[in-house]
Amino acid sequence: MPKVVSIHSYRGGTGKSNFTANLATTIALQGKRVGVVDTDVPSPGIHNLFCLEPEQTHKTLNNYLWGESSIAETAYDVSANVGVEGTGKLFLVPSSVKADDIARILKDSYDVKLMHDGFRNLVKTLQLDYLFIDTHPGLSKETFLSIAISHVLILILRPDKQDYQGTAVTMDVARQLNVRKMLLAINKVHSKLNLDALKQKVEEAYGETVAGVFPLSEDMVQLASEGVFCVKYPDHSLSQEFRKVAQQIVEV
Amino acid sequence: MSNIGDLQSFANSITAVTSPLRGYLNELHQKYSSLNDGTVADYIPELALAKPEWFGVCVVTTDGQIFEAGDCDQLFTIQSISKAFVFGLALEDHGREYVNSKVSVEPTGEAFNSIVLDEATNRPYNPMVNAGAIATADLIKGENGTERLKRLLEMFKRYTGRDHDINVPVFLSEKATGYRNRAMAYLMLNFGMVSDKIDETLDLYFQQCSILVNAKDLAMLSATLANGGINPVTQERAIAEQYVQDVISVMLTCGMYDASGEWTYRVGLPAKSGVGGGITAVAPGKLGIGTFSPLLDAKGNSARGIKVCEDLSRDFGLHLFNVAKPERVLADWISGGNGVDDW
Repeated sequence: MPKVVSIHSYRGGTGKSNFTANLATTIALQGKRVGVVDTDVPSPGIHNLFCLEPEQTHKTLNNYLWGESSIAETAYDVSANVGVEGTGKLFLVPSSVKADDIARILKDSYDVKLMHDGFRNLVKTLQLDYLFIDTHPGLSKETFLSIAISHVLILILRPDKQDYQGTAVTMDVARQLNVRKMLLAINKVHSKLNLDALKQKVEEAYGETVAGVFPLSEDMVQLASEGVFCVKYPDHSLSQEFRKVAQQIVEV
Repeated sequence: MSNIGDLQSFANSITAVTSPLRGYLNELHQKYSSLNDGTVADYIPELALAKPEWFGVCVVTTDGQIFEAGDCDQLFTIQSISKAFVFGLALEDHGREYVNSKVSVEPTGEAFNSIVLDEATNRPYNPMVNAGAIATADLIKGENGTERLKRLLEMFKRYTGRDHDINVPVFLSEKATGYRNRAMAYLMLNFGMVSDKIDETLDLYFQQCSILVNAKDLAMLSATLANGGINPVTQERAIAEQYVQDVISVMLTCGMYDASGEWTYRVGLPAKSGVGGGITAVAPGKLGIGTFSPLLDAKGNSARGIKVCEDLSRDFGLHLFNVAKPERVLADWISGGNGVDDW
């Protein structure tokens, strides 16, 4: 059965898009059909990691939400861009980066039912094994929707007081929405911190599993979203940590 | 009980979107969108303006979850569906015995507009045929026509949780052409079954039929009855608990005009239909169904609405007398639990 994985964080800049791209690619490299939807309509960006330029994307999620195209027409096969071959496939549904389009969707909003039906349709049409949903930080109707439909919700936080508090708020919401499975991932951890002790502390505080701990990485910063890290540096310790998290998603 | 909190209420609206039950309703909606049997009522020009393609299906559970498919916000006139609820208010105003002395509760097998009174007692047969509904409207208390209408509108607001308006052109047309209803009223006055404020009562009757509702309101009306008279979203009481059974039992025996027997056999849910194209159906303790499609069959019931209710009743075992294990377990289809997940 297809699985929906939502990646979320309460605050911005936690590394959601990077995380989503790396997890989705890791699973696609295992021969699975994977779709990624960028529901971050106010500030889309994940297309950069998949080397999909705005000039190549004539139809975006925005067009689907305005009833101008089917959801399948807004999906781009980016497998070749990230070296996914064979049975594995990676598709991206980008959001528009045109300022006019962003303004229109903020001004007029959109029908959350349509967004939901689009997800289901996409999974069916492209025969996906996994659907990853990249979200805008904070709480919004697309956050609520992605949490409610996900088989696995991954909450990303940094070891930071603002993130700790926000994660607690998001978890309240997730429980109200009867989320099926929640995993935490700690990102951008200072290299001097004891990773195991941090993991244990966070698990005790929230009562949920920490699926991975990711130290702050100069290598990741250097890549600067021009490609997917785990493809460029497959043997890096971060890539191994992504594979560890991917394994936990596959086993859910 | 108090209103549910904002977080829970917003979370409910989202889970209603993601629930497999909404997917099911969408499929039902799609399945019967192509059914073009029946005709739009045209005995007054305003009703003929309804578009044949309008079609909405809404389910509201007794715990306040709302599931919608299609045109659930499209307004139309409530017509005869009002009769069941006005009957409830008459019971509250006068009690069971007095109301029963004025209106019987026997199904007629006659058309809704037949001019027939019980020969022995001169009572109209039941509150769902026009004669019985006029006699029932006559019982609604209030100093004058305005106050009585206000009481009706307030009652509907308690059921649906929102304000309702009257479609004035429909009201005026019904009033201008309702000779048959006027004749029935005078016949009943002749037998002393209604008071002599005939014009005021007929106005009230034509007004109650011209109240504007949508499919969601119809689901909320029946969900409130299914919930023992308390609106499951606002938690406001709409009708005294003791009279809920009176209203829904008359809906079961008389609610679908002269198709009530067939309906009870096939669907087995107390329901009321109107020539505006609405149907409201009660699954006591579980949910309310509201459907809207203006294409009516020969007996004046919404053709698509009947199909939708038949499917819902069969698939989820909602028939009142069902003892077999249903094909689908309602709770699982609402929550997506127990392996019900149509991904």
